[in-house]
Amino acid sequence: MIFEERQIEKNNFSSRATLLFSLIILGLMTVLIKVFSLQVSGYTDYQLAALKNKNYAVPVQSLRGEIFDRKGGVLVKNQPTFDLITRPNLIADIDSFLDEIEPVIFLSEAEKFRYKKLHKEKAFANKELVLKKDLSTEEIARFNVKSFNFQNTFIAKRFRRISDYPEIFSHVLGYTSRTDDDYKSMLEIPRSHWKDAELSYAHGLIKGRTGLEEVYDEYLSGKHGQRVYEMNANGQLVQPLSFVEPVKGSDLYTNLDIEAQKSAAKYIGNRKGAVVAIDLDSGGINVLYSSPAYSINKLSNGMSDIEFQDLVNDPDKPFFNRAIQGRYPPASTIKPAIGMYGLSKNIVNWSHKIKDPGFFIVPETGRVFRGWLKGGHGKVDMHKAFLVSSNTYFFSLAYQADILELSDHLFNLGFGQKVCLDCFDEDQVFVPTPEWKYSMMNTGWVKGDTVNLGIGQGYLATTPMQLANYTAILATKGQFFEPSLVIFGNQERSLKIWQDDGFDHSDWIKMHAALLGVIESDYGTARSIRHLKEFQVAGKSGTAELVSLDSKEAYLEVRTSELLRDHSIIIAFGPMPNPRYAVSVVIENGESGGAVAGPVAIEVLKSLINE
Amino acid sequence: MNKPFKKIYFDPYIFFSLFLLSILGLFFLFSASNSDISIVLKQFVYVVAGFILMILVSQPDPDIFRRMSGLFLIFSLVLLGITYLFGPEINGAQRWVRIGPLSFQSSELLKLAVPIFLANFLFDKKLPIQRREILISLAIIFGCFFFVFRQPDLGTALIIACSGLLVLFLSGLSWGFIGGSLILFIISLPFIWNTLLQPFQRQRIATFFNPESDPFGASWNIIQSKVAIGSGGLLGKGFGEGSQTQLNFLPETETDFIFSVIGEEFGFLGVLLLLSIYLFLLLRCFYLALSARDRFCRLVIGGLSLTFAVNLIINLCMVVGLLPVVGMPLPFVSKGGSSLMSLFLAFGIIISMGTHKKFLPQ
Repeated sequence: MIFEERQIEKNNFSSRATLLFSLIILGLMTVLIKVFSLQVSGYTDYQLAALKNKNYAVPVQSLRGEIFDRKGGVLVKNQPTFDLITRPNLIADIDSFLDEIEPVIFLSEAEKFRYKKLHKEKAFANKELVLKKDLSTEEIARFNVKSFNFQNTFIAKRFRRISDYPEIFSHVLGYTSRTDDDYKSMLEIPRSHWKDAELSYAHGLIKGRTGLEEVYDEYLSGKHGQRVYEMNANGQLVQPLSFVEPVKGSDLYTNLDIEAQKSAAKYIGNRKGAVVAIDLDSGGINVLYSSPAYSINKLSNGMSDIEFQDLVNDPDKPFFNRAIQGRYPPASTIKPAIGMYGLSKNIVNWSHKIKDPGFFIVPETGRVFRGWLKGGHGKVDMHKAFLVSSNTYFFSLAYQADILELSDHLFNLGFGQKVCLDCFDEDQVFVPTPEWKYSMMNTGWVKGDTVNLGIGQGYLATTPMQLANYTAILATKGQFFEPSLVIFGNQERSLKIWQDDGFDHSDWIKMHAALLGVIESDYGTARSIRHLKEFQVAGKSGTAELVSLDSKEAYLEVRTSELLRDHSIIIAFGPMPNPRYAVSVVIENGESGGAVAGPVAIEVLKSLINE
Repeated sequence: MNKPFKKIYFDPYIFFSLFLLSILGLFFLFSASNSDISIVLKQFVYVVAGFILMILVSQPDPDIFRRMSGLFLIFSLVLLGITYLFGPEINGAQRWVRIGPLSFQSSELLKLAVPIFLANFLFDKKLPIQRREILISLAIIFGCFFFVFRQPDLGTALIIACSGLLVLFLSGLSWGFIGGSLILFIISLPFIWNTLLQPFQRQRIATFFNPESDPFGASWNIIQSKVAIGSGGLLGKGFGEGSQTQLNFLPETETDFIFSVIGEEFGFLGVLLLLSIYLFLLLRCFYLALSARDRFCRLVIGGLSLTFAVNLIINLCMVVGLLPVVGMPLPFVSKGGSSLMSLFLAFGIIISMGTHKKFLPQ
């Protein structure tokens, strides 16, 4: 090549090389700008993403608070049990490990099967695995002696939710049961991490399902802690990074009374029924018992499916909380309410007398309503009407009532309302009205329906809780507190007042005197129980008819079927003249109110008063 | 020169840059391999051997390389053929040839043989280059590209094609021809996509344009790489402290994604330092290319150093998410003996071409 050509070639090369090297530098600058945008502009986002990759937070279960009765007796507690935990990643050969540990710890085939099934997965992820729950003291002792042989295994304390009175308090305390995750209480921990929760309870993550355990679940359950692990891309835990201790739940102090509840259970025995007792000074519910009961200890700590199904299918319905869900006709126990209505509306006064021939005929229709005593009680005023429980008197009073006013009046006494502040799943039932009847049965309200209300039969139904609340209104002369299971301070308690311009203090005095006479006088229908105690008690008994019959003879026939027998009911308060407790008792198919439900009420009052 | 045979041909700038890169590379590799010292030691042996090789290769006169260039290309192709017939299959690809205890990725040699051969073929041709010479060059380039592409090894094949085309461009290919080829290339893109690319390669390209479509599958690598680099911030998390790297969220930390490790543990400043070294090295090559003694040397230095630069930039763009994932190591830093050897070999040739001067003025 000649010189010029070479020069041209050289220049050509130089410009092309410059172009290419410039492009390369441009490329490097582009990369640098991109890196800058990732590392400086996008730093926060990517740093979070990196943390999210590696941080694996698991919840640490908190202990639930305990539940106490009004004297400090423990109703529900956390009882330690001991579980054997292993670190599968440190166990090379499962079979030889199991062979070695079997002489120390008894293992069922199911336990071994479960362990082998989960071993590999837990070992890979460096997670712990329970080998056996609820070790016996012998097993613990044997293990402690030989623990040096098992470096990969340790005993951990786990708790159980236990009540010393699992049956008698079952409905009111309720039970806890396992929940797969409790993620709502700790939103910062993803749902899928809950399966690795560090447990405090042998039964796993638990949650209140019924009773106080449910109503106060949030209060009792405290706050979960969390342990954050560093996790690698394969999902293996590498090391713990941080720990936030769980906060134990608050203890719950209730108005319940162990001794009184025991009495209620003892005297109802194996009959079906319910008892509710209220402390008049506070509205505190001292007794809330439903029979038959079941064991909350079994339910809270894992019950077999068969046992559970047996409970569900039991014809006596043990899960049914009769005290707040059972609907019973109040029968004669409603008479004080009807009397209050008559007095306040000036339909009757205390000296107003009628002739009781043993029945009442509705003038318009000629329908006959019978009293419980053939031939009647003769001349009856209101005081006597309470004492002898004259049906005719209250038929005739109700006959003169305006059903809308009367149903309002009953509503104001707590019927057709939820009256308990913190009961689980209370039934409010209803107060019958013409509107209600029309919507339910598509027929009009007739006078006879009102007449029937006068003795607490017909469409009227109430729960033992509502009866107890109503009894508290009677006992406190209208100055009552909203019933509650948990103890509240004076400020938090709500005083409720029932008053009516037509019903003054002297009416209250006379009412108390009459209701006292029901039990304490020679003529009272519940006089059979007056010798059972040393203090005086006022009250009203009732016999709720399940079938409407015209004669005693007909009832004797019906009676042969136990489930059609009358319910026995009593409401009572004492000690008189300054009552401190109100109680209601219903015994299903127990027949005569005073004689059957009465003694239960008296025994409960006795254990409350003689504390 | 009294004792010309005693002169050692040596370029301190290149030597120093490569020394820094190699030392930093070993350092990064230690962290990227989760502190596996045996991997680092093995790489260290390669580095030492590489330096020796580079110094040896930079001694002969460029004319020797020129005369040997044909043989070199044939030798490389024969090795490639041996690989194709007898090489072990690793991850569905035949890339390795075994000579005694050493195994070597034969396609690495082609990265050098192709540009040197073309430089030799073109250095004495008149400007502008004639159609016949262009066609011969292109035939060689695409023949070699195709052999390697069939292994399959798209990354290396692209680099080989690139090395040849760069030499062709530098030697004075006419702009008209370049423009025409570009149009032809764009027209044939659908054909390339449908018939030449493997399904996994199409998948990679598809996820590149829509990385969130499959965050746990195909685009996992690139997402984790960006998280690693981004979370490094300005100063990095510190040596051995990168959670993305140490907890294995980042894939291929020792090879293709080692730059992400550097970004995570040493931050923007670390990246800046590393890129500065590369830039310095390239600028030195640029200077050597311009001041080389003849056209052959210019073409070889330009071809080899720009090929190196393309290799570097493709790796960088890939790990920061500017290009689809394609297997390509970060030169002098990623683990791997074959690519390191061929790099040292290339720089040995560059030094030889850049430092030998002709004393007889023409």
